Amino acid sequence: MNCTECRDTVAADLEGLLAAELARQRREHLAACETCRAEDAAVRRLHERLAAGARDAQVSFVAPVMREVLRIQAEKERQSLMIKSMIRWVLGLGAAGAAAAIVAISLLAPSKASAKAEEILIRGAEAAANLHSVHLKGLMRTPPADNFMAINPASDFAAIEFWWQWGSEVPQAGATGKWRVEKPGRVALMDGQTTLLYLRPLNYAMKVARPTLGAFDTGWLVRIASLSQALTNELENAKAKGWQLQVSAETGADGRPKSIVTVLAKSGLPDNDYLKNKFFDLADTRRVYRFDDGTAHLEDVAVSLTTDAGDVKVIELSQIDYDEDIDPSVFHLDLPANVQWDKEPQILPDNQKYVAMTAEQATQAFFKALQNSDWTEAAKFCPFPFNQQIRDAVGGLQIVSLGQPFTSKVNEAQFVPYSIKLKSGDVQTNNLALKRDPKTGRWFVDGGF
Amino acid sequence: MNSPDEPLEVSDARCVEHSRDGSPEDFRLLVQRYQRPLFAFLAGRLGNASEAEEAAQESFVRAFLSLKKLRKPESFYAWLLGIACRVTRERFRDTKRREQVRAVAETLQAAAESGPAAEYPLEEVIAALPESYRRVILLRYYEGLSCLEMAERLAMPLGTVTKTLSRAYALLRQELRACERAEQSVNNTLNP
Repeated sequence: MNCTECRDTVAADLEGLLAAELARQRREHLAACETCRAEDAAVRRLHERLAAGARDAQVSFVAPVMREVLRIQAEKERQSLMIKSMIRWVLGLGAAGAAAAIVAISLLAPSKASAKAEEILIRGAEAAANLHSVHLKGLMRTPPADNFMAINPASDFAAIEFWWQWGSEVPQAGATGKWRVEKPGRVALMDGQTTLLYLRPLNYAMKVARPTLGAFDTGWLVRIASLSQALTNELENAKAKGWQLQVSAETGADGRPKSIVTVLAKSGLPDNDYLKNKFFDLADTRRVYRFDDGTAHLEDVAVSLTTDAGDVKVIELSQIDYDEDIDPSVFHLDLPANVQWDKEPQILPDNQKYVAMTAEQATQAFFKALQNSDWTEAAKFCPFPFNQQIRDAVGGLQIVSLGQPFTSKVNEAQFVPYSIKLKSGDVQTNNLALKRDPKTGRWFVDGGF
Repeated sequence: MNSPDEPLEVSDARCVEHSRDGSPEDFRLLVQRYQRPLFAFLAGRLGNASEAEEAAQESFVRAFLSLKKLRKPESFYAWLLGIACRVTRERFRDTKRREQVRAVAETLQAAAESGPAAEYPLEEVIAALPESYRRVILLRYYEGLSCLEMAERLAMPLGTVTKTLSRAYALLRQELRACERAEQSVNNTLNP
């Protein structure tokens, strides 16, 4: 490989997309060429700077800008009936009409239903603006200690709870406040200074030494809890991606009229993508939002996976408290004295041996280490600690088969199909997700185990 | 990822022309494309997220009102950054803001005296990239697409995407070095 080829492949290498032979040639060239080595290191720093800058800029204000743009345009073209209608919404006249209507709206033509849904979502977003706290409580079909984004229609419902308090801050994008997300085996907490994840079954904790919005895969919950923004985003996405909107009306258990907006969200992923429907953001879902017509407050949300085999409800947020006083202890977590803290992977003396492995070879080596109960070797592939319970379960396992690695469109991980037989006699068949750690270049287990 | 109903990637120039021709929905694509880098740029200048968001929204609305004055539609983003700079200057004119600026300036001065020079804003350098390179940087980082998703969105082979991204990195580094050298030279002149 020459210098030009080396520089032209830096992005593929960074993303783990370089074929094994090319990756080897590139490593050899870097080892021999000081200039390319320096350039490669500089690009990796630039990549980190770009990623950090973009992470802090996860905002969306298309809706307010476009409302103003449309208003301006509407003023220019007052003669257009369609634009007149938009002016009505901007001025809230349409919304007032919506509050008065207690009729079944689902019979409206699709375009009118869409316009009505838009009105209801905008009213809901306006009613949820400038809150000082939100508390969400509900159920989710998810393995209790697994990733906060993971949904699994085969899992039982697990309790999930979210608190977010802005205090005196205005709850707009960028303001962090304090938040906590919790399900039975996992809690993530941001106390205004740091962001913490604690995995109860492993007694394992990770810390980011700064306030974040959405670290540890809590981003989608944070987006939902930012109710005003969430409803605005839902409307924006529906418009941009052509998601179907439906509306209906009913009288609630409290005797008050309610409006129900149903959004048929499409992930855009092909049906054969491995990760489709495994995470909230990657799922085709039917999202049902129920609003009180009087207050315009969102009262509950139900999310179902939509598959050819039928709908399966996976999330039910049945309690939404607005501006309640949240006990300050919610944003504090006492960890056990013997908690194991996440350690950054280190470059090993024989690191190159592991860097040279393919994903399949890394899977083989990882399972081999478990087979031999060699926990030091296994830790080179897995960031989580092997406590006694895990050692008892997976030590001495037998590899039944390994398959060819494959990828998903939405994740740079390599998925290696495997089948293993545990000492208990149970056979576990799954796909091990492996990602290259950017610092060490080694494969690390990222899921599927 | 690209849903079947999502519009294909349209150039900035085309979005500007359609918006000028009375199709404000095309302006939506420009807002979607540049809201995050513009926010990052303004957050860096203003040091406050909610002010940055307000200023970004104002900048977009002003850009829409002035679209007819844009001479080079393909340079929309660089032009938008210019508008954003004017918006921040106007905000700073407010007396209260001047106090904040003074505090920020003192902080920056203290930082300059005690630590390494602040990094040159990436967003300005990104704006100076040719559109094909700027597009892959924005999609990869500010829209969070993987290379495979970009290949699908841009209807390009994956290898072309990664090569374009590699060259975008090289250009960005080259531009950053040039800007930082220029800034250093100005600083040396002002503070010999």
